Amino acid sequence: MLLEFLKMPAWLVTLGGLAAAAGTVVGVFLGGFALLSLIERKTLARVQNRIGPNRAGPFGIFQPVADGIKMLTKEDIVPAKAEWLLHLLAPILIVVPSILALGVIPYGREWTPVPLELGLLLFFAVGSVTEVAIFMAGWSSGSKFPMLGAMRAISQLVSYEIPLVASALAVVMISGTLSLPEIVAQQGGWTFGFLPQWNIFSPWGLVGGIVFFIAAIAEANRTPFDLPEGESEIVAGHMTEYSGFKYALFFMGEYLGLFAVSGLFITLFLGGWQAPLPFLEFIPSWIWFFGKLAVLIFFFLWIRATYPRVRIDQLMRFAWLFLIPTSLLVTVAAGLWHVTGRGIVSWVVCLPVVAIPWVIAAVIFNRRLAPATRTYHFAE
Amino acid sequence: MIVPLLLSILMILAASAAVWMAKPVHAGLSLALTLSIAAVIYLVLGADFIGLVQLMVYVGAVAVLIVFSLLITRRRDEEEERSLRPKALVMGFGCVLPLLAVLAYAVTGGIDIKPDRWEPALPLQELGKALFTDYAPAVLAIGVLLTAVMIGAALFARETRKETK
Repeated sequence: MLLEFLKMPAWLVTLGGLAAAAGTVVGVFLGGFALLSLIERKTLARVQNRIGPNRAGPFGIFQPVADGIKMLTKEDIVPAKAEWLLHLLAPILIVVPSILALGVIPYGREWTPVPLELGLLLFFAVGSVTEVAIFMAGWSSGSKFPMLGAMRAISQLVSYEIPLVASALAVVMISGTLSLPEIVAQQGGWTFGFLPQWNIFSPWGLVGGIVFFIAAIAEANRTPFDLPEGESEIVAGHMTEYSGFKYALFFMGEYLGLFAVSGLFITLFLGGWQAPLPFLEFIPSWIWFFGKLAVLIFFFLWIRATYPRVRIDQLMRFAWLFLIPTSLLVTVAAGLWHVTGRGIVSWVVCLPVVAIPWVIAAVIFNRRLAPATRTYHFAE
Repeated sequence: MIVPLLLSILMILAASAAVWMAKPVHAGLSLALTLSIAAVIYLVLGADFIGLVQLMVYVGAVAVLIVFSLLITRRRDEEEERSLRPKALVMGFGCVLPLLAVLAYAVTGGIDIKPDRWEPALPLQELGKALFTDYAPAVLAIGVLLTAVMIGAALFARETRKETK
């Protein structure tokens, strides 16, 4: 119908659709990346009682532009011991998966750049390329700190990918599909006429959502899990030997990854573009999606500003002894939820399955496995 | 048909690089490249699910595991590696030739390999049902095997750590 109306040849429409899809991902999120780099610095400054960037333009709004020009004009240094080809490919391989992953997320009712049947699988499949890219960056730099940072990053990413995928699996079990638009559509409708039916409003969804969120912080390399780049210990991890535009690419890949994983969290657990209350449905769906994204990103910043970085042993222990068992329980609870008919009975059955082990594990985890209290030898 | 053909040539090149590279890390990365080209071939042929799973499982997990095992195991001299090549070549071809022979026999029409239906994009639900009903014993057996492998790997890692102390 649209074709006849616009009198355009089919290939032009296809091309236009592709351009719109690519424009969404590249335009919106590159703009978002620039904006976020400023908002992050401003927010952190506010929390730390500083002013933050305020020189370039009013309230420092041209700071990202200045940063961009600085990055582009900086000298591109390749260390003498580096393997130049791998050194060059690594930053590109970091950015590409993030952009691909952003393509499958539904941003609005009719706005999914690439509405794939296997969208969720594609998200995790391209995400796994990042690990190889980080290894390439760390190894090809031919230096100690990047190598250490890469090893840390890979062990962290591999460990936290398991709870991430397992809690996403619970959503797939309930929805019966890997298509992200379909998963969002199934979270529509209202209980008692006004309560949203998002996945997070169920026992398995609540616990699964929390596990997914924590694992997402680790996957996005954000504080308190930003060990791969822990500046105070290993300079900048796998990015140590990078400068100029290649460094900017790493930075961009990280922020795009943050957008992607937050978008996936919203899609899987927070009802995607659905409105939270029935009478608010007149507001366009994409506004809801980006509103939720903004709140979630602010949450990430808030955590970064207030939590100290964890140690590497605490990080691994937390993943393997707490998050992975919990995420497996979530899949069990999701199965029970489906079998018992997704009603009041399911609440009674599922809640203890998730809650009791969670509480017990949390108590044991706190008491026995918590590292010994630090003693400050030189503080007195 | 031309695209899969070109990709196969690329894949063979990458695979030979994986065998031929002297540095183990280069070999591991070439293997990752080989596996991802295999994933792309699946995608080009329309088998989306298997292609993405190939990318996720092999490139993501196996490549990282290979790289890790290379770093943990003893680093061999590059000279020694080169001196071993004639032997490795003979052994390699000895192992691969029977397989190649069977493949050549099959491709030239010796074995009837035509499937009942040409439908690479099987619905996912059907695949899942088949896995957990008809092929449940196989799935369970692989689960047990992988658990055993994991325990073995943990034990192995522990022993090497004692030695280094």
